[in-house]
Amino acid sequence: MTRRPGFLVYGLLTAFLLGSAFPLYWSFVIGSVTRQRAIQSPPPLMPGGHFFENAGRVLDRIDFWSALLNSIIVSGISAVSVVLFSTLAGYAFAKLRFRGANVGLVFVVATLAVPTQLALVPMLKQFSNLGLTGTHLAVILPWVVTAFGVFFMRQYLVDAIPDELIDAARVDGCSMIRTFWTVAIPAARPAMAILGLFTFMQVWTDFMWPLIVLQGSDVQTLQTALDALKVAPGQGQADMALVQAGTIMATIPLLLLFIATGRHLVSGIMQGAVKG
Amino acid sequence: MLRTEEPTSAEGAKQAPSAGAAPSRMEWRDRLSRWDVKFSPYLYVLPFFLVFAVIGLYPMVYTGYLSFFSWPRFGSGHGPFVGLENYAHVLTDATFHKAFWNTFGIFLLSSVPQIMVATVLAALLDTQLKGRSWWRMSILLPFVVAPAAAALIFGAIFADRTGLVNQWLDAVGLPMVPWHADRFASWTAIATMVNWRWTGYNALIVLAAMQAIPRDLYEAADIDGATKIRQFFHITLPSIRPTMIFVIVTSTIGGLQIFTEPRLFDTNLRHQGGSDFQYQTLTMYVFNTAQTATDPYPRAAAAAWILFLIIVGIALVNFLVTRAFQRRSLS
Amino acid sequence: MSKISTSWRRGLAAGAVATLLAGLVTACGGDDAGGEQAKLGKDDVLTITTFSNFGYEGLIKDWNADPDRPFTVKETVISEWDTWKQSLTSGLQAGTGLTDIVAVEGDAMPAFLAEGASDQFVDLSDPDLEDRWIEAKYLEGQTADGKQIGYPTDAGPEAFCYRADLFKKAGLPSDRESAAALFKDWDTYFATGEKFVKKVPNTKWYDSTGSIAQAMLNQVEFPFQTKDQKVDADNPELRKVFDTVSKYSPTLSTQVVQWKEDWMANFTNDGFATMPCPGWMFNNIKDSAPDVKGWDIVDAFPGGGGNWGGSFLSVPTQSKHQEEAKEFANYLTNAESEVAASKVAGNFPANLEAGQMLAEENAKDPYFNNAPTSEILANRAAAVPAGVPFKGDKYSDILGLFQQATQRVDEGISPDKSWETFLQGVEGLS
Repeated sequence: MTRRPGFLVYGLLTAFLLGSAFPLYWSFVIGSVTRQRAIQSPPPLMPGGHFFENAGRVLDRIDFWSALLNSIIVSGISAVSVVLFSTLAGYAFAKLRFRGANVGLVFVVATLAVPTQLALVPMLKQFSNLGLTGTHLAVILPWVVTAFGVFFMRQYLVDAIPDELIDAARVDGCSMIRTFWTVAIPAARPAMAILGLFTFMQVWTDFMWPLIVLQGSDVQTLQTALDALKVAPGQGQADMALVQAGTIMATIPLLLLFIATGRHLVSGIMQGAVKG
Repeated sequence: MLRTEEPTSAEGAKQAPSAGAAPSRMEWRDRLSRWDVKFSPYLYVLPFFLVFAVIGLYPMVYTGYLSFFSWPRFGSGHGPFVGLENYAHVLTDATFHKAFWNTFGIFLLSSVPQIMVATVLAALLDTQLKGRSWWRMSILLPFVVAPAAAALIFGAIFADRTGLVNQWLDAVGLPMVPWHADRFASWTAIATMVNWRWTGYNALIVLAAMQAIPRDLYEAADIDGATKIRQFFHITLPSIRPTMIFVIVTSTIGGLQIFTEPRLFDTNLRHQGGSDFQYQTLTMYVFNTAQTATDPYPRAAAAAWILFLIIVGIALVNFLVTRAFQRRSLS
Repeated sequence: MSKISTSWRRGLAAGAVATLLAGLVTACGGDDAGGEQAKLGKDDVLTITTFSNFGYEGLIKDWNADPDRPFTVKETVISEWDTWKQSLTSGLQAGTGLTDIVAVEGDAMPAFLAEGASDQFVDLSDPDLEDRWIEAKYLEGQTADGKQIGYPTDAGPEAFCYRADLFKKAGLPSDRESAAALFKDWDTYFATGEKFVKKVPNTKWYDSTGSIAQAMLNQVEFPFQTKDQKVDADNPELRKVFDTVSKYSPTLSTQVVQWKEDWMANFTNDGFATMPCPGWMFNNIKDSAPDVKGWDIVDAFPGGGGNWGGSFLSVPTQSKHQEEAKEFANYLTNAESEVAASKVAGNFPANLEAGQMLAEENAKDPYFNNAPTSEILANRAAAVPAGVPFKGDKYSDILGLFQQATQRVDEGISPDKSWETFLQGVEGLS
């Protein structure tokens, strides 16, 4: 209890929070006023009472619920898969000794540096040949395990697990996978929570790849479905109230996930216990 | 470190006499255990390499191969082999040179302050805050906001005439900043957008590493009367070195591949990164080249490979410098 | 090292190589998969992608509700051409992944007519349909050797929109008929502008340099390329357009870029008095300045006529239902469909009969002081000369660079330097 923060800390954090939250707030403000008010100047700064009306219009215009379900499926599976495989690989690179480990790790990091702007064409070709276009799997597969995830878990675990713990587990006769399960997983929990959260959010907000690979199919994610809201009725100005209401509706599940995962981001106490 | 060379010599010696007989239970267990130790690591890293082979490798080979060919726009197949022509085109293109310096400038203005602020922020969040899980989650809010929604806000902030900042400057009698016309001003605006989105993200990564630091280290330091600042530099930073390397490497790579923010910031109708390419970045160059008239895809592929080499080069220098610096200051 | 490990490593290597090869082979083997055609039944789905607003939602709903329909249609709508263009380009380059019908934006069409690209589209020519559309528009969807790769959906004949209230303030004739004289040619237009800004100093004469530059260069016969597709951007006529808009940039132009925040703001703070106005711009003005009274439309355009925008429907050869796709594209661009789409989307039909039908309805728009909008647009469409400007395969690319060049001048770079950068950019295109 010696590290108690003062007012300065709360002040700084509050300032940071306001800056972080404002665009989301403003998005909600625009989503809660009428179409006319949304494009008037000066722009509205206080929420109006039309959010549910706008949300209703979103539900009329696009197949929101099925898109939501699809997004949950692809983001959820991707997140779980990335966490599982990245933790395994990161643990191996951080704590196990095997031939080619260093080369392998450098390779993983190097793949991070490959620009992805041009991958769309060959990936589309490949996925089409595999018969995957228009399926959930087409969106999930690129996220099954990422170089980012592997590198992240490796760097986190290299110091977070003391070698003695692993050796102790081995001496107790634990198999490799059991050692991983009983020693690495508990130590990796905060990092796993973060990686899962990040991945979920990235897949959730991914736009261009789903757009291309799901083209013309019944499977649409939230982002590709929401895009249609930007179409201006009669070539005029886009209905910003509708667009922002849709944006907020797509963000709510993420915020809920945030709250649910938040607990796991706080685990310093447990760490201390393991190490002590 | 766990060693693959487990102490098996004793069992190995025992095994010899019983050769020919059915292996006993013990021996099977030993062998399984040995295999377990030997092969498990490969099994654990296999998924990554498998997925990479299926998904990541083909695009790399494909772009690499095509960068040596011609390919008419919208054509369904590539044309004749042209050697290094596409590379020559990119390397002699004045826009590419400009894009290189723009990328580097925006990178310095974003990644460097971003990492520093993220580390400090993480340290603040690592204290016994009231309602800390709320604080921790709140710093990730910018990451939740769809980039297009954020662009709307920043468009309103940085518009050249009617933007918030310029309205304020004008109100107090200062000259307005030509956000989109002046090169440095545009870099600053873009770096602001980048930092807004990614600082909290990096802070959370650093925070995760800080939480793995045993608390008794700090308690001991407290007893010794070390100040918080001193503790930060002598306990916190050294303890999170691997994660700092991770953050620095990924921010460097991400910073050099910056694309979304300058594109959203752009007022140029064709997204060329400003009327005079003031803020066209290298990834935008790759992207735009893929849309132009002559050999779009091969030239863009060549540019992408050049960009890859640049990033690897800079990341390598960065890594070596970081390591040397940390070794010197921490040992 | 033990034996097991070496042999295992060899096995791993072999496995990896096999996987890679498998990946490469499967990836490269399927190029010729397209081609075979499949007949669609009543409940089989034909797919179409459009961007922005084509106004097809109701038409497709009615089509699908018809129990006698030959097949079912599913439309994907993407909000912006830019996004769709990227997706479309990827699909063409990959040779897969596109819908049966794709919408193509008008300025981009010339690039699709080029050799290599046009092979990717089905020839839609049909002797019965040749006289269906505005000739200029129809020819824009045709290759040099007569292959029709797009049916025109709409056209953008340009009139001029102006603020009658501000004209009155400046002492200019403000009613539709007498104001038309101010728009008879560019010299008169600019001269009037100079008079105007002296009287109303806080309002600029036109909305942006880009819109005027585009209007002017579209009256040049060969703005960027000669008839044999040779790039010739450094020509005196184009330079004249550039010099003219550069000259008036500081005095008559708002110096902002279209569609961006500063441009939008000018609608509500009396930022400018006139703008080139294709039909699809009408709703834009209404939405941007709902409370401004005084907008009107003249039935005139400096230098004759001009067209801005208008799209096409095309069928990629990778479609497995080319016959049905052609049939449906035909249906969507017939007179009744284009009238219906026009009423929803607010754009002017490229179909001649549809244009006629709308003009006969003689709709008047109260927002624009009861201007007879469809009559004006029909007259303006008749004033657009066929084949001018000549749009070569690099039209869209060079147009982009040209607009960038005028933006540079707006932002304070000297016209000569900006022109030089423009020519450099054009050079880089080949």
